[in-house]
Amino acid sequence: MIAMRLKIDESILLNVEKPAKYTGNEWNMVKKDPDDVKVRFAFCFPDDYEIGMSHLGMKILYHIMNKREDTYCERAFAPWTDMEEKLRERNIPLYTLETYTPLSEFDFVGFTLQYEMSYTNILNMLDLGGIPIFANDRKKGMPFVIAGGPCAVNPEPLADFIDLFVIGEGEEVINEIIDEYIAWKDAGEERDGFLKRASRIEGVYVPSLYNVYYYEDGTIMDILPVSPDVPDTVRRRIVKNLDSVDFPDDIIVPYIGTVHDRIMLEVFRGCIRGCRFCQAGFIYRPVRERSHEKLSELAKSSVEKTGYEEISLVSLSTSDYSALPELCDNLIEFTEAEKVSLSLPSLRVDNFSLGLMEKVSKVRKSGLTFAPEAGTQRLRDVINKGITTEDLIASVKLAVAGGWTQVKLYFMIGLPTETIEDVEGIANLGITLIESCRELPGEYNKSLNITLSTSCFVPKPFTPFQWEPMDDIESLMNKQYHLKDRIKKRTRKIKYNYHDARLSFLEAVLARGDRKIGKVIYTAWQKGCKFDGWDEFFSFEKWMEAFSECGLDPKFYANRRRDYTEVLPWDHIDMGISKEFLKKESEKAYEGDLTKNCAVGCSLCGAQGYKTGICIKSKRG
Amino acid sequence: MAKTLRFRFSRGEGLKYIAHLDMLRLFERAIKRAQLPVAYTQGFNPRQKIVFGLPMSIGLTSDSEYADIELAEDMDPDAFVETMNKYLPDGIRVDKAVEHTAKDNIMNQITAARYEIIFETNRPMSHFEIDSHVHDFLGKEEIVVSKKTKKGMRPVNIRPLIYSLSAYKKDISVFVLEAFLSAGKENNLRADLLLEAFCHEFGIEARVISIHRKALYASTYNEWKNPFEVSHD
Ligand code: SF4
Repeated sequence: MIAMRLKIDESILLNVEKPAKYTGNEWNMVKKDPDDVKVRFAFCFPDDYEIGMSHLGMKILYHIMNKREDTYCERAFAPWTDMEEKLRERNIPLYTLETYTPLSEFDFVGFTLQYEMSYTNILNMLDLGGIPIFANDRKKGMPFVIAGGPCAVNPEPLADFIDLFVIGEGEEVINEIIDEYIAWKDAGEERDGFLKRASRIEGVYVPSLYNVYYYEDGTIMDILPVSPDVPDTVRRRIVKNLDSVDFPDDIIVPYIGTVHDRIMLEVFRGCIRGCRFCQAGFIYRPVRERSHEKLSELAKSSVEKTGYEEISLVSLSTSDYSALPELCDNLIEFTEAEKVSLSLPSLRVDNFSLGLMEKVSKVRKSGLTFAPEAGTQRLRDVINKGITTEDLIASVKLAVAGGWTQVKLYFMIGLPTETIEDVEGIANLGITLIESCRELPGEYNKSLNITLSTSCFVPKPFTPFQWEPMDDIESLMNKQYHLKDRIKKRTRKIKYNYHDARLSFLEAVLARGDRKIGKVIYTAWQKGCKFDGWDEFFSFEKWMEAFSECGLDPKFYANRRRDYTEVLPWDHIDMGISKEFLKKESEKAYEGDLTKNCAVGCSLCGAQGYKTGICIKSKRG
Repeated sequence: MAKTLRFRFSRGEGLKYIAHLDMLRLFERAIKRAQLPVAYTQGFNPRQKIVFGLPMSIGLTSDSEYADIELAEDMDPDAFVETMNKYLPDGIRVDKAVEHTAKDNIMNQITAARYEIIFETNRPMSHFEIDSHVHDFLGKEEIVVSKKTKKGMRPVNIRPLIYSLSAYKKDISVFVLEAFLSAGKENNLRADLLLEAFCHEFGIEARVISIHRKALYASTYNEWKNPFEVSHD
């Protein structure tokens, strides 16, 4: 087959914002002849280019797939509305940036699921790409639509649209899927033959091979494979040794600025802390580190190959990296010599990290952020956030004395067991911090400005709070107003920001939805919903219309307390974290009992089954 | 061997969709990849010492853009050209570099630019019609447009900024404007603004097909000079 290359001319590109989002050809973009490969994979990010190109997972998989001679991985992003209008007007299908090939020409079209609010964009991209939206409308010769990423832990709301999901880390399993695809193609089997083959790969979930049965009240009775040769549960894949898998140092360098326009070095995966509201803290267990030698090497080769002027260390909590001093010493020396700046987000503030920041960020000493998450000690104990007010005061004083005068504090409202005292506790904590800085000498004592930011707690699958009802919209809004009022009355040194509770409500529905939610997503998309995560596009009204047209009550998903015995929509997905452990954590939460972090001692969460990372070192008992 | 170089580069179709600031970053990163001994500014946020002649807006292609770069050690201009081209993306080519010793940098020296603007009108026009429009346009004493200046949008008379203008017909409704315009730090007239003013004046609705910068000039003693000719005082 002769590959077809679309022509996108200046009559389109000169009439859209930031046309370089649609032209590709960036430095390090992989160039191959599509006729020379067996498998063509379109990696799609269901959001704008500037967001998608900041995403590390995409860079990793792009690199891994393109290392194969028989495979060409290309990229596509959700076109901004001005571009979508032009494409639709002229009947030009959505295409990849590498070869301007329509999505429908690919063997695989893969989506990464980073946040629930991008789901309508997936439907829109399929539609723009000329691919049937529903998986069961796809025929022989059409692409297989594959998806992975954190939201795939509950794949059910997207089950109607996706042919196969990858559960867990993709670096190894993607190669197995491609190998199986080539074998299937060579065998000349029917379309569902490939899905059957794929379902036998560990970490692959093919939703069409499972039936879901419901009780009359809408809860789930069972989730069962359609035949005995399909596994009952799908177990999450992880990479055992990070040093042994490829990490890209030849990443694509975009022409236009992106959200994270820099080299991102992934220091480790997972998090030892186990904060009970945090999905990332459970679904990436156990903690596995990259060696500092490897990271220093990667830093150097990445700068050489990209010319980037900034490196950032990424992980869920960089302070917990066991070789942080060694790594920083190495990196500081190298970055200074090469005029590269080093950024260290997600550091806990203490003497060590402040000293470090002093060394690396000679630039502006503007913002420092803290995430106490809850306003009172009682509630912080409930969520297992091991920060005390005293710690915070000490850290903030250190920061202010060091010249950081802008402090941002992140909280959640609507956490389980929350009372009005906890909400007011957020304002009180801010005030306590301002007051305690008055004790500092001279110039510093009045310089502190605080921003308090609250998001709405959304219960997520595979956390101890997966059974919890979400606080309802009205109550969340009342708390926001109350807090705003309290703060305004007390001080002008505190700014207060909060999130749209309606957006969080919808996120809660999609996060814990079942297969029936697929209809709602489809209906909302038909009503014009897309880019739901962007304030300027989000339409709560359209979504609510979609729910009522589908005869579903969103509150059933967001605001209902589940019984421990209820079959959850994601029960056939085995994340390697035991339900027993989550249940125990949930009970401990109500007691305000803390659970120690993995570095201090192991709580046998289930991840020990992977026999790697911190579980091997951690003390049991 | 030289410590400060002036170089010329072109930008083709493939890279015409990026904005000026993105171009600067593109060069900075290419220079970093090439590990050229570029000099950096002092201070908290060291920047490469490189100055471009005239900003390039989105959509513009060019045969002759200029920049001055200061190095931390001497380098042979030809070696500079060769190395840069290895690390620049396709679509941008450096074709020549010379030593630069003049006091003024390229940004201060540029005073004029020559453009070729191709556009399509929403109705066919005769050769005579477009020609007479150009004639009338140039015959005006004042052409006032609202132009972005340091003090915000201001009405500006652009007639003195047009040094020459001619048109020819390429297709039934496709035309080419050849324009020689004032350019540089002071009194810059962008080609798209000129086209807009022209079309506005005669009620033409037009769509830009391409804008190409053919040459940049510096002026000394009432003479237009190629920027390479003024790289030494
Ligand atoms: S098994 Fe123990 S050490 Fe491993 S992740 Fe779970 S709690 Fe942490």
